[in-house]
Amino acid sequence: MWGSSFPTGSGRVDIGGGSAELLVQNICLFDVFIVPNSFDPNHALGIFGAVINSMKIEWSGVTRSVVGFSDATNKFRGDFFECSATIAVSATTPKDTGHGFHFESDPATTHTNFAQFGSEHNGVFF
Amino acid sequence: MDEKNSESRQRLQQKLLSRRNLIRRAAGTAAGAGLLLGSVVPMSARTDDEGEGDGSMCKAVPRPIPHITTPPGQHFFFPGPVDASAATSPNAGHDPSIITDFKGVVANADMVFSGTGTDLNTGASAKYDFHADMRFMRGVFVGLDNEQHSGTIGFI
Repeated sequence: MWGSSFPTGSGRVDIGGGSAELLVQNICLFDVFIVPNSFDPNHALGIFGAVINSMKIEWSGVTRSVVGFSDATNKFRGDFFECSATIAVSATTPKDTGHGFHFESDPATTHTNFAQFGSEHNGVFF
Repeated sequence: MDEKNSESRQRLQQKLLSRRNLIRRAAGTAAGAGLLLGSVVPMSARTDDEGEGDGSMCKAVPRPIPHITTPPGQHFFFPGPVDASAATSPNAGHDPSIITDFKGVVANADMVFSGTGTDLNTGASAKYDFHADMRFMRGVFVGLDNEQHSGTIGFI
């Protein structure tokens, strides 16, 4: 599993308003260059400290609602709303790693393959 | 041109690829190398414990969902409709959360976008494409310590 702690209040879902937002700054993570390198236990290409300087994802424009859904096999239930999303992200791998790199996204170019937000209960809360 | 600059420049010519994109390519043919900036080194998800103070030295660790998507052999479903068919879409859709014993709100997005990448050693810039699977879960969960916690988990 890949995951990291996000600061209190960084994620917001407004079911009634049909939107959600994630706003984080200065999140430390790793630059591993390519996915196979992340799966390689030896990380042959190396691992370098990096930072997401800022990232804002906005979910809106509900196109499909799945309300009162329940999946006993996977033990989760909830209300889910498929929609579109946009992302603005700025990330840096510092020069002192020897792999200095900075990426600045253009939010206008965002194409959503799939996006949704919702509320759910799973596992022991199913 | 020294070796380090050459390597950096070579990387700059490569594209940012998401974990999902590259996983899918790798499953088919040998994929070209990409450049990935993300928390893709397996690590335990830990939270801020919103109700228990932000100064805790040992953050709560949630449990992953039981499902394992292979490849890459990790506990998550690829993004997709929650009501996807288990027969035709066993690894995409279904539970968007990566943690179990959880109740709260969740959002995920599978996006393709572009931007400008700059080699900080040479100053050279180029357009990069990025395919990303981003998620967050905010709410209450039972952690590995069997205690109930609250927090926000991000999946980058």
